[in-house]
Amino acid sequence: MGNLENVYEAVLNGSVDTIVQKVHEALDAGSPAQEILNQRMIAAMDEVGRRFGEGEYFIPQVLWSAKAMQAGMEFLKDRLAPGEQVGSGKVVIGTVEGDIHDIGKNLVAMMFEGAGFTVFDLGVDVPPERFVEKAKETDADVIALSALLTTTMPAMKSVIDRVKASGMEKVKVIIGGAPVDDVFRKDIGADAFGVDAPDGVKKVRTLLPPRA
Amino acid sequence: METGFPERCLPRFSLLDKAQILKLHESALRILEETGVRVLDSEGMALLLDNGAKMIGKETLSLPAYMVEEAIASAPKNLVIYNRNKSPVMELGGRRIHFGTGTDLPKTIDLETRTIRDTREADIITASMISDALPHIDFIGSYGLPRDVAPGLHYIRCFHLETLHAKKPVFFTAESTKDLEVIHEMAGAVAGGKDVLSRYPFLIHYSEPVSPLTHSDEAVKKLLFCAKNRIPVTYTPALLAGSSGPVTLAGAVAVAVAEALSGLTLHQLAGKGAPIISGIAATIMDMKRGTVSYTAPEFRLTHSACAELFHHYGLPVWGTAGCSDAQFPDLQAGAEYAFTLFNAALDGANLIHDCGYMGQGFIGSPEMIIFADEMIGFVKRYMEGFCIDSVHLALDVVRNVGPGGHFLGEKHTLDHFQHEQWQPNFFNRQNLANWMQQGEKRIEAHLIEKATHLREHHVPEPVAEAVREELDRIWKNAQER
Repeated sequence: MGNLENVYEAVLNGSVDTIVQKVHEALDAGSPAQEILNQRMIAAMDEVGRRFGEGEYFIPQVLWSAKAMQAGMEFLKDRLAPGEQVGSGKVVIGTVEGDIHDIGKNLVAMMFEGAGFTVFDLGVDVPPERFVEKAKETDADVIALSALLTTTMPAMKSVIDRVKASGMEKVKVIIGGAPVDDVFRKDIGADAFGVDAPDGVKKVRTLLPPRA
Repeated sequence: METGFPERCLPRFSLLDKAQILKLHESALRILEETGVRVLDSEGMALLLDNGAKMIGKETLSLPAYMVEEAIASAPKNLVIYNRNKSPVMELGGRRIHFGTGTDLPKTIDLETRTIRDTREADIITASMISDALPHIDFIGSYGLPRDVAPGLHYIRCFHLETLHAKKPVFFTAESTKDLEVIHEMAGAVAGGKDVLSRYPFLIHYSEPVSPLTHSDEAVKKLLFCAKNRIPVTYTPALLAGSSGPVTLAGAVAVAVAEALSGLTLHQLAGKGAPIISGIAATIMDMKRGTVSYTAPEFRLTHSACAELFHHYGLPVWGTAGCSDAQFPDLQAGAEYAFTLFNAALDGANLIHDCGYMGQGFIGSPEMIIFADEMIGFVKRYMEGFCIDSVHLALDVVRNVGPGGHFLGEKHTLDHFQHEQWQPNFFNRQNLANWMQQGEKRIEAHLIEKATHLREHHVPEPVAEAVREELDRIWKNAQER
């Protein structure tokens, strides 16, 4: 159990330099990859989220835990048994057309990665069709849309319209950004609205079917 | 290396230049020599007469400048004040700033009913517990004048309760030397003897002359008692420009400084090198209402002048901030707390009292002590300035991130954010959605919640059982005397 606890601690403390070694040791000691990921790494990120919510952790600390999580996952991916899967799901993310603000979007992307998602970041000023293409191509579970400018909020609706028209049924759309609220979410038919980055991740996790 | 480059920028403020400081000082000395001061205590009068003062009128003495200069020279430049456990917690001198609560408020804003009512014993305990728990409150005043304590016993009871409910240094008032004797006995019991107490003082007495230019019988007796027993004391006039002093600020400062310096002279004659924190409060009488402003801009000017004069003398200087003329915690209170605390920090005053005062020194508010603490944190961060060395310029980090990137995930951000950025405990920086989700609470609600929580749950370090029993015994005797 000591080895698994070390993995947990490494993620919790954002120990990017030592996480791979700790995961390696846990594998050597016989723990299956799935168990390392689901029971310790994701659990550590849940604790990170709790601490952030309570005001004990700050954004940079959350991001470094997320980086440790990512580094550990990269290492685990190559060591999976056949048919085994790791990760919480796939997210296509971007700032909508007409808007080139990306700090908020980057923050959310890093939080998703930290929560065990594989993230495809399309950048800024992304045309609506590009979100749909990428989601199809990667078999994504989530499309996450960001906007800072009020003038670009309508661009969110046009992404959602295209998602609906494309017939992709499982993909969920979440929106976020300073001018967006839950009333707007309902108006444009998005599945969720995140009041801030951690809330966005939390909402997505409740939207998706549970994984083994 | 880069030579002679100051790697940290610091906010600085000065009101008076050297010639202006000397002019005010010389004017104060001239007042003491020409007009003189009234001394209504025979021991004090004899002390001054024996050392060079001349009688120039009924009870009025002229003080030659050299007497005053000698007192300035013999008074300690730096005072270390301890907590109840003999740990040094304040170093009064230089530009080191320390904050604390005030004393003697007859009214309190009730935490539950939000009405203004008489202060009670329980409020003294609440204020002590809150002050004990807060990081930026360095010393505690009695806060209030409890109506449910028999007249004549207020000050003793307050000191008793404060000592039991906080380990921070106690800033206290007393009605007479009789009170002082009892309080001195209590403090001695806590310290393990009066001789130990004089080496590790955890108490500061507050006494004042009466403007204009009068040292009352009781004030002098208390001042001399403190000097002889090495009890740190502040002896600061509260002059009202336009009523008990000239309406013009320069004249008000000169008179108040004359009062403070003649008090200092008396004190040092009674005990050379005895600990004293000097200074003046020269505020205005509001000519429309006849009230005394604790926060007027004119008062902040005389506060700065006072700090600069006593910095010039090299003596520990008293100050006041974190108070409001408004009866209730409102926009005015927020503005006045912020401005006075910022001003007092810029002045570099050493012993800044009155945090938590409302209604012109008449009303106390437990939650506003917490607000003052929050604001002090804000001001202290501002006063730290920022560093301009290569690590903090971070040009290598900028190069690595490049145009269009971001700094959120940089090690540099992780390493420095906590030191570079102040985190409020109560000021609202929540986004709209989160704020609404969390009940749309304003800062007042959070402050009241915190005050109530500390009142119910803060556990002050207890005094030893034997000490508690001794304090109770002294209190019992005081009630029977």
